[in-house]
Amino acid sequence: MIQILLRDKLDDCITRWHAAGYDVIGPQKNNNVTRFAPVEKASELDLEIILTDRTVKELFFPQTEPMFRYRIGKQAIDTEEYLPPGRKRIIFGSRPCDASAMAIDDPLFGWDFKDTYWFQRRNETVMVTIACTESDDFCMCTSLKLAPDSPLGSDIMLRPVAGGKGWHVELLSERGREAFDRIEALLDDSAAEKEPIANVPKRFDLDVCREWLADPENFESHFWKEISIRCIGCGTCTFLCPTCHCFDFQDEGDTYSGIRRKNWDSCSFALFTMHTSGHNPRSTQSSRWRQRIMHKFNYFPGKFSMNSCSGCGRCSRQCPVDMGITETLQEITKTAK
Amino acid sequence: MSIQEQYRKKAAELLSSGEVKLVIGYGAGTTPDRRRPLFVRSADETSKLHLDAACEANLSGYLVTEGLLADRKKVGIFLGPEGIRSVNILASESQLDPDQIVIMGFNREAESVSALEGSNVRDFPAMLAALKEQAPGAGEQALVERIENMTPEERFTFWQAEFEKCIKCYACRQVCPMCYCRRCIVDNNQPQWVQTSSHTLGNFEWNLVRAFHLSGRCVECGGCDRACPVNIPLRLINRRMAMEVLDAYDHFSGMSPDQETVLASFKKDDPETFIL
Amino acid sequence: MTEKTNNGRQNIYKPAIMKIVDKRDEAPGVKTLRLEFLDPLDHEMFRLHYRTGMFGLYGIFGEGESTFCVASPETRKEYIECTFRQSGRVTSSLANSEIGDLVTYRGPYGNRFPIEEFYGKNLLFIAGGIALPPTRSVIWSCLDQREKFGKVTIVYGARTVADLVYKHELEEWQNRSDIDLVLTVDPGGESPDWQHHVGFVPTVLEEAAPSPDNCIAVLCGPPIMIKFTLISLRKLGFQEENVYTTLENRMKCGVGKCGRCNVGSVYICKEGPVFTAAEVSKMPQSDL
Repeated sequence: MIQILLRDKLDDCITRWHAAGYDVIGPQKNNNVTRFAPVEKASELDLEIILTDRTVKELFFPQTEPMFRYRIGKQAIDTEEYLPPGRKRIIFGSRPCDASAMAIDDPLFGWDFKDTYWFQRRNETVMVTIACTESDDFCMCTSLKLAPDSPLGSDIMLRPVAGGKGWHVELLSERGREAFDRIEALLDDSAAEKEPIANVPKRFDLDVCREWLADPENFESHFWKEISIRCIGCGTCTFLCPTCHCFDFQDEGDTYSGIRRKNWDSCSFALFTMHTSGHNPRSTQSSRWRQRIMHKFNYFPGKFSMNSCSGCGRCSRQCPVDMGITETLQEITKTAK
Repeated sequence: MSIQEQYRKKAAELLSSGEVKLVIGYGAGTTPDRRRPLFVRSADETSKLHLDAACEANLSGYLVTEGLLADRKKVGIFLGPEGIRSVNILASESQLDPDQIVIMGFNREAESVSALEGSNVRDFPAMLAALKEQAPGAGEQALVERIENMTPEERFTFWQAEFEKCIKCYACRQVCPMCYCRRCIVDNNQPQWVQTSSHTLGNFEWNLVRAFHLSGRCVECGGCDRACPVNIPLRLINRRMAMEVLDAYDHFSGMSPDQETVLASFKKDDPETFIL
Repeated sequence: MTEKTNNGRQNIYKPAIMKIVDKRDEAPGVKTLRLEFLDPLDHEMFRLHYRTGMFGLYGIFGEGESTFCVASPETRKEYIECTFRQSGRVTSSLANSEIGDLVTYRGPYGNRFPIEEFYGKNLLFIAGGIALPPTRSVIWSCLDQREKFGKVTIVYGARTVADLVYKHELEEWQNRSDIDLVLTVDPGGESPDWQHHVGFVPTVLEEAAPSPDNCIAVLCGPPIMIKFTLISLRKLGFQEENVYTTLENRMKCGVGKCGRCNVGSVYICKEGPVFTAAEVSKMPQSDL
C-alpha cells in the first residue's frame, strides 16, 4: 500500500504546516509572471504550471540581498549584519529540475568557505517536489541524466496519481521528516496507479559534449563565434537559470552610512570580468558564451562531479533570440560525432 | 512567388554578386512558431531564410555590432516598418551610414507578410508618412488610457507591482536597437547614477531612465516587451513617451535619416511650457 | 573539505576593520598604505593564516572592495602593506584616505609562494612597473632569512624613472652587497641623472644573464612583459617549473563563488594567485 495525499486535503495540509511554524511557498501566477510565493490556502497554488517563469533559486539566493548596514565614524565603523530571517519553510510544488539545481549549488556555496546566506536558507527549507507528468519543447532533464522524477535536492516527492485526485507521497530525507510527520494522519492508503512521468526526449549526447569541451583544442574553435553570433548579451538565461550563482557586491549609501548588498550578476555582461585598466579577459560575446557552457559542463563537473545544469530549459525557453544550452549542446553533439 | 522565395532569391543574388557581405534575416526557431535571427554569408545558405508573420524581431540592432560596418561593405537586412525607422534613427544619430544598408522590407499583417518596395532607407517616405497618421493599436491604446485615467496613487501602485518583478537582466536594453551606448549609464560607477541593485527603487530608476533616453527615439517595435522575461508591459511606457513627443513637437521618430533628434536639437520656437 | 571562515568570522563576506597608520607616495598615481587591525582577534587570525603570495580585498564602505596582493612579507605580520595604482572607484577612495582613517579588509585568501622549497637555491626576481609589490613580498620574505638562500638577483624595470616604486627600498637593496640589483627604464623614460640601464626588461635580463643552475625565478609584471620575459628565461635555460608568477583578475568574493576570476577551469582566487609558468602555459591563453 502506498500513501496518497488527496488534492482536497491540501488545505488541511497547509493548515497543519502553518500550525507547526512553517511558511508554505508554492507556484502562483501573479501579474503575468509565474513564480513561487507564500500561500495561505491551496486555491492560491497553481499546480498546473509545468515550470514557473522564475526559479526557486530566488528563495535561497535573492536577486538582491542586503548583507550589512554600515555606519562610518572617525574612530570606528559599525557594521550590522543582516542575516536571513530564520523561519522554517516548505516549498510546495517545486519541480525536480529546480530542486536538483539547489543541491547542485550546495558544494559551490560550501566549497571551503561557507556562504551563510545560502546555507541558512537551505537548512530551514523543506523541498516538497512534484514529479512532472507533462513537459514542453524545452525541457531537457533527461539529457542531463536527470529525470522528471529525480529525487536530487528534494525532501519529499509527490507523484501524481492517475485522474489527478492527488499524489503518492514519499519521504526522501531527514530534513523532510517533521513536515511529513505533520501531515501523515491526512494520508490515505491506496492502490491508485501513478500517472506515468513525462516523456522528455533526449536532446543531445552529454558524454560526447563533455569530452569535446574537455579537449583544449576546442577552446579556440570557430564554433563559439558561430553559435553565439546572435547573442545580444543580456542576462536572461543566467538570471532565470536555477544553477547560475554568480554575484556582485554593491554598496548603496553615502560616505557615512549605507548598505552592502549581494546582487545577481551574469557572465553574459561585458563588465563582469573587465579590469579597471580596461583589459577584459572575456572581451567578446562569444568568449562569454563559451565561458557559460564551459563552466556548466566542464569546469563545474571537474570540481564538484556534477553538471551545473539541471535541464529546466529556461535559457532556451526565454531567450529573446532563441539561443540556449540545448542548441549549443546539440550542435556540439553533431560537430563531435 | 511568395515574398519568402522572392527575398531568398534576392539575398542569394546580393551575396553572389558581392554587393553585400552578409544578410541578416530570420531562420527557423526551436519550435515551429519561433523565428530566430539568422546571419547568412553565402548564397547557398539563403534557403535557410524564413519570412512570415512570426518574424517579429527588429533586427536593426545587429547593424551597430562593433566593427560590422567598419570595412564600408554593405549588409543586407530583413526589416519591417519599425526596423526601417530604427535604421533612420541610427543614421540620424551617426551610428551608421544608411547607404551601407540594403533593405529587404516587409509589412506584417495578421497572418501574412507583404513586400515593401525599395531597398535604401530613403525609399519609404510614403509608407512612413502613412504610419505616422495611423492610429495605434486599439488594445494597447485602451491600456494606456486606463493607466492615464488612474489617480497618481493608483498609477504608482500599478507600476510598483510591475517593476517589483524586474530582475535587471537588461534584456530590454540589449535587444533595443536604440541602446547602442558602449557604456550604459547604469554601468557607470563614477559616479553611480543608477543603483544597480534590483530592488523596486533600483528597478524604477533603471526603467524610467531608459524611458527618458528613448523618448523621441523609440520606434515601438515591441522588442523590449517581448524580451522581458517577467512580462513587464514596457511598451506602454514607450507608447506614452511617443504620444508626448508627437503632441509637443509633432515628432514621429525614424521618418528619415535627416530627421532632427527631439531631445538633442534646439529650435527657437520650441514650446517652453515647462519653464516657469 | 575543510571549513574555513573569514578571520574566524561566521559571515565570510564580513570584512575586518583596519586603520591606516602610514601612507606613502610611490610613483604618480601609486600609493602604499600601511594598515593595522583594530580587533586583536582579526590580527591573530591574520598572523595564523597569512603567507607570502596571498591577497586581500581592501575596501571603503560606500565604494566597494578592490583586490590586490599583500605587499608586506610573511616575516612581518604586525601590519599589512598594500600598494596600488589609483584607477577605479575604490582605489581612488583609498588613495584619498588619510593616516588615521579606517578601511575594510578581507583575507588573506589564495595560495602562496612555497618559500621553503626555495631554501638553498639562488633566487632571481624580475618585476615590471606596478608589479613590484607582489615580488617585494617574496623578496623581503627571503631577505629576512637571507642565510637560507644562495645568490639573490633582482631585475626591476618601469616605463620611466618616476614610475619606479619603493624607491627607498631600491636604494637599500642597491647598497647591500648580498644582492645584485639591476634597474632599467624603457627607452625615453630615463632622467638626465639616471645611472642604470635603459631598455626593456627581457633585453636587460638577457644581458645580465643570470645562471639557471639551482635557481628559482619569480616573475611579475604586465601580460606583455611576462610573455617576452618568459621567452628570454627559456633562452637562458630556465625550466618553466622553476619560474613562479602571480595572476590577477577581477574578483568580488575572493573565495570561489562569485564566478568571474577563473582562467579556464582555474579559479585565481582559490587555486592562485601564485602559479608556475608551467601551470600558466597549460591555461587557455585567450582567457588570460
